[in-house]
Amino acid sequence: MQRASKAARDRLKTAMSRLAGGDRAALEDIYRATSAKLFGICLRILGDEKEAEDALQDVYLTLWRRADRYDPERASPIAWLATFARNRAIDRLRTGKVRGGAVPEDKAASLSDGSPLPDSMLIDEEREARVRACLEELDETPRDAIRSAFFEGRTYAELAERQGVPLGTMKSWIRRGLAKLKACMEAGE
Amino acid sequence: MSEDKRPDSVLAAEYALGLLEGEELLAARAREASDGAFAAEFAQWQDRLAPLADDIDPRMPRAELWAKIEAAMGADAGTAEVVSLRRKVRRWQWIGALSAAAAVALAIFALPMQQAPDGPSGTIANGPALTQPPLAANMPIEGTPLRLDLTYLPDAHSLLVTAVGLSADGVHDHEIWLVPDEGELISLGVVTPGEVTAHEVPLEVAPRIHGGSQLLLTREPLGGKPPQAAAGPVVAEARFAAI
Repeated sequence: MQRASKAARDRLKTAMSRLAGGDRAALEDIYRATSAKLFGICLRILGDEKEAEDALQDVYLTLWRRADRYDPERASPIAWLATFARNRAIDRLRTGKVRGGAVPEDKAASLSDGSPLPDSMLIDEEREARVRACLEELDETPRDAIRSAFFEGRTYAELAERQGVPLGTMKSWIRRGLAKLKACMEAGE
Repeated sequence: MSEDKRPDSVLAAEYALGLLEGEELLAARAREASDGAFAAEFAQWQDRLAPLADDIDPRMPRAELWAKIEAAMGADAGTAEVVSLRRKVRRWQWIGALSAAAAVALAIFALPMQQAPDGPSGTIANGPALTQPPLAANMPIEGTPLRLDLTYLPDAHSLLVTAVGLSADGVHDHEIWLVPDEGELISLGVVTPGEVTAHEVPLEVAPRIHGGSQLLLTREPLGGKPPQAAAGPVVAEARFAAI
C-alpha cells in the first residue's frame, strides 16, 4: 500500500517534469492521477458540478500552458496542485458568477453519497500533518471559522454574517486563532 | 472601521486562506509580488494548510471532461513554444471580441457601446501619420506602491510596458486593455512581470490610440483572458498623455 502510493507520487513527479519539457502526453497522466482529488476540491468550494468542471478544466489548461510555474524544490506536486485548484476555485467564487457557493461542512458529507469514491493521492500520506493537531487546539469558534474559510472559501464578511457578529469581531477571532495556529505550527517545524 | 493592524504572518495566513477581498486582497497580492519575505510567508502558509485538503472526498469528474481539455490543448502548441506562441496568440486576440466582459467594463465606465464607424478603416489604408508624438500612461495599482508604466511609440507600432518591481504570483496574469472611443475593448497584451517588454501594436489598432485614450488592467488566469471567458476584475486604470 505504502509502496504503491510512493510509486504513484514518483510517477506524478516525473509526469510534471515531462510536462515542463513540453510532453503533451504527460498532462493526461497527471489528469488521471489527480483529477478526482482536484475535482473534489473544486466541487466542495463551488458547490456546483458545472462550475467545478469549468474550474477543473481551467486548472489543467493553465498547468499545460505554464508548467514551468511548478517548483519541484518547494512542494510535493499533489500539494501544489491541490493548492492551485483551491485558489482557482476561490477566484471563480469571487467573480460572483456562482450563485450557490460552497456546500457547508455539515452537508458536504452527502455529496459523496451514491457513487463509490475513487482512490486518490494524499498530500499527507500518514495523516499526521501538524496543522490538524494545531487546529484542534484552537477554541471552537475560530477553529470552525478557519475551517469554513479553507473548505468553503468564505471571506471575513461572509463568516461574520453567518455567525451574526460584527465584521471586526470575526476578524479578531480569526486573527487570534491564526496567531495561535502559527505558534503551534512553528513549535513543530 | 479602525485601521486593521496585524503581523505580516497573520496577513499572509489570511491571504492564503482566501479570507480577504476587495482592496485588501489587491494589496496582499501586490505585497506578494513585491516583497520576497511576505511571498515566502504566504507560500509557507499554503504548504501548511494544504494537507487539510485530504479531508475533502475525491469525486470523479464526468468522463467527457478529459476530451474537452484535450481539445482545448489542441488549440495550443507545445509548452516549449509557449513563449513565442503567446505573442502570436496575443496578436490573434488583439481585436478579439470581449462581449460580456466588455459590456460589464463599459457599463462600469459608462462608455457608449456602438459599432465602430467606417471612419478609422479609412486611415488604415493611408497608414498612421509619419511622425507622431509618443504617449505615456502611468498606472498605479490601487492600494500598493506599485505601478505599471506604458509608453506608446506610434512610429514604431510599439507599446513599451514597464513592469519592473512586479513579480508573477504563479496564478494570475494581468492584461492591458485599450478602451477605444467606440466599440469593444481591445487587448494590448499580457503584462510580463519584472520586465520591460515591447508589445507590437497592429496597424488597425494604432489609429484608435490617442492622447486621453483610456486603459484598463484586468486580472486574468495565466496566459490572459481565455477566449470564451469574461474578463477578470479591473485592478487599475490610466489614460495616455502626450510626452
